[in-house]
Amino acid sequence: MVQILHQSIPLLFQALLFLFYGFSFAIIAASLMHIKFNTMKKIIFTLLSFIITLSTVQAQKGINFSRTYPAGGKLLMHVDSAAKNIYYANVFPNQPNTSFSYLPEVSQVNIQINFKKKAHIQNYRYTILVDNKPSIVNQSINEAQLEDTHAGGDEEIFRSTTLGTFPVKGKVITTLVYSTEKPLDIEKAVLYGKPLPKAKIKAFLKRTVTDKGVNYTPITDPKESTHLTLTEKDDELTLVKDRSAIDYLYYTTIKDKKTQKIIYESTAWQYGGYIDETNEFSPYLQVDKSIFKKSGDYEIIIQPSTFSRFKMPANEMEKYTARYTLAITLDQENYSKRELWMYILFAALAIGLAFLVILYFIKKRNQKKLAENEQQKNTAKLQLNAIRSQLNPHFMFNALSGIQNLMNKNEIDNANKYLSKFARLTRNVLHDRELISLAQEKTLLDDYLQMEQLRFGFTYKINHAENLSLDITEIPAMLLQPFVENAVKHGISKKAADGQVIITFMQQGNDLVLTVSDNGNGFDTGKKNNGLGLQLSNSRITLLNDIYKENRFTLAIQSTPQGTKISLTLSDWL
Amino acid sequence: MMRAVLIDDEISNLENLQALLKKHCGQVTVMATAQNVSDAVAAIEEYAPDLVFLDIQMGEQTGFEVLKLLPIRNFEVIFVTAYDQYGIHAVKFAALDYLLKPVDIEELKDAVNKADRKQVRHTATSQLDFLLQQLKKPETNVSKIALQMQNEIRYITLSEIIRCEADNTYTHFFLSGGEKILVSKSLKEYADLLRPNGFLRTHQSHLVNPKYVKSWLKEDGGILLLSSGEKIPISKPNKDTVKKALQQL
Repeated sequence: MVQILHQSIPLLFQALLFLFYGFSFAIIAASLMHIKFNTMKKIIFTLLSFIITLSTVQAQKGINFSRTYPAGGKLLMHVDSAAKNIYYANVFPNQPNTSFSYLPEVSQVNIQINFKKKAHIQNYRYTILVDNKPSIVNQSINEAQLEDTHAGGDEEIFRSTTLGTFPVKGKVITTLVYSTEKPLDIEKAVLYGKPLPKAKIKAFLKRTVTDKGVNYTPITDPKESTHLTLTEKDDELTLVKDRSAIDYLYYTTIKDKKTQKIIYESTAWQYGGYIDETNEFSPYLQVDKSIFKKSGDYEIIIQPSTFSRFKMPANEMEKYTARYTLAITLDQENYSKRELWMYILFAALAIGLAFLVILYFIKKRNQKKLAENEQQKNTAKLQLNAIRSQLNPHFMFNALSGIQNLMNKNEIDNANKYLSKFARLTRNVLHDRELISLAQEKTLLDDYLQMEQLRFGFTYKINHAENLSLDITEIPAMLLQPFVENAVKHGISKKAADGQVIITFMQQGNDLVLTVSDNGNGFDTGKKNNGLGLQLSNSRITLLNDIYKENRFTLAIQSTPQGTKISLTLSDWL
Repeated sequence: MMRAVLIDDEISNLENLQALLKKHCGQVTVMATAQNVSDAVAAIEEYAPDLVFLDIQMGEQTGFEVLKLLPIRNFEVIFVTAYDQYGIHAVKFAALDYLLKPVDIEELKDAVNKADRKQVRHTATSQLDFLLQQLKKPETNVSKIALQMQNEIRYITLSEIIRCEADNTYTHFFLSGGEKILVSKSLKEYADLLRPNGFLRTHQSHLVNPKYVKSWLKEDGGILLLSSGEKIPISKPNKDTVKKALQQL
């Protein structure tokens, strides 16, 4: 629709000639007069103004600028023939009536307005601002100057006129056009002759959810690299940009630096909240925390939108690009609840498993220990049984011989009596019982001693404390018999009728005390070789202590030439 | 007629034995009884009996001590014991007679009759000497055994015995000199007696001195080849014990 006009060579020559003359004159003058730099600057500016004025005059005289570009809406712009890098008539999101042209290397611009034939031209007003300072305000169109044109190459015929020529280098020329019929539809064309400013982040705001609502933690004037820790309670990050008239130009991307993936893009700045030093709202963006999946470095890039009509080279773009790095640490709490539960479950399982394994080994060890104890106990029992059954065979056969004698003496009743006693005694000895009552022990000892009386004719007594219940109190079987046998064999067998054996069952506190005394000649208790009887007695005591671990069996022996007394104490037995 | 002294520490035993002798062994006259060692020595010296019934275990003393105290022992001894393995072992080695309490009447009669016959030959003294010598040594260290043959007592060094073989209630002794002796006691008795000295019961009918074993032949499930060239069978139940014993040599 619009065509760029070809340049006219003679016009270019003219302009160059003017410049050449001007500069030559100024340099010669300065060098000749040795004037100060400031003065020279003044002279140059004066010269430049002269040239510009001359150009304007030339344009106004109808000398066309070499190239023409749309400037947005009804406007066209003519730029001087030396102009370069023209990014013209760009439209940005949320700014439908604004056209932005970036003219970094253009000196002069002539603005032309074109109306369709049907337009009510008399209703239009225009305002031109130079760097926000009004130059022409609310001016109506000078209809006398209107000409029929093709408006920069269109086939249609327009009614056109110039709105003036302006120096644009280092300036911003803003043209506002509206019809009194629709005064709110203001067409705005911005011709930007300054270098584009780099965006600046004024602050990061971290939003934290609290019991009462939300709380913002600011990081103001952040450096190019900023560390940020996000906990589970933080939910949002706000980026605050410095305010400018052309905020809409800038768009923001956030990249994961590691993967170089863009995780966020926005062109829409919001205004409010954060107030800058000029008492105006600052543009900001709200970024949800959820975009940051992992801890790491993220890059925030704020740059001008890619110009739609003329793509800006990357190195040029970089000049206007602001880059910030955010080093984000996601706090451990950031595990999602499900993950957290999973971890807890795993940990619990692992601990449980370890516990079970340990328990198993402890149990196994205890079992082994228990088995060992049991085995030891059983061994002790077996050994005790072996000793127990060693009812002195010498005694047994002599006793039988004694009965034989009664028979041969025709003492049949006595023979019967002693035979029964002998049978009962043998039965008691053979009977494998662990415990017998004191009453049973007394019967056994009675039988035994009466059989021995048959051999050696002594006297004996079995006494017991009255508070001791013979039927209820139990003791290990065959406990006293070996001691009684010793008393008979070594104590009184030689004394015959004068011999005496006394056995007592007594209670001392919780202890049961059993004693056997004889009036024999005694023996040396210090001597080691005291015969099988005492050896057996000692080993019996050791074995009994192995079996009955809660009680203690202690044996005390007192021996004098007048007699021997042994006492066996069963601790805590009663 | 045999004049006898009875020695026992228990009066009932003395009474009993006296009654039994009176009733069953008319040829025996009891001259005296004694209940301890010194009384016994005195009684024997006083009555110079043909026969002594001697209790082995007498309180804390033994009947052997009576024998030791007598310089002349020209009498037959019948030991009477209730239960005394050590004494009995030595008595058996000396091939002397003994009775177990309570006394069996038939055994008593046999022992008395044997003593009656022996009295004529006066060999008892050397037999008692032998007994007392044996008693001085530990059981496993005994080097000789008395064997009662038909008409004599032979004292055989254990290392001379190659092997013994049962012949009903008799036992053949095969000696290293090639001699063969027949003894009127069962192999069982000698097996028990000689086991502590290392003799091996290879078979129900065979007792072998391991000293004379040359090799173990695998034929017929195991046979011992002796240095004399004789082959002695090994019965199944004894195989392991014999093998073990031979390995330990």
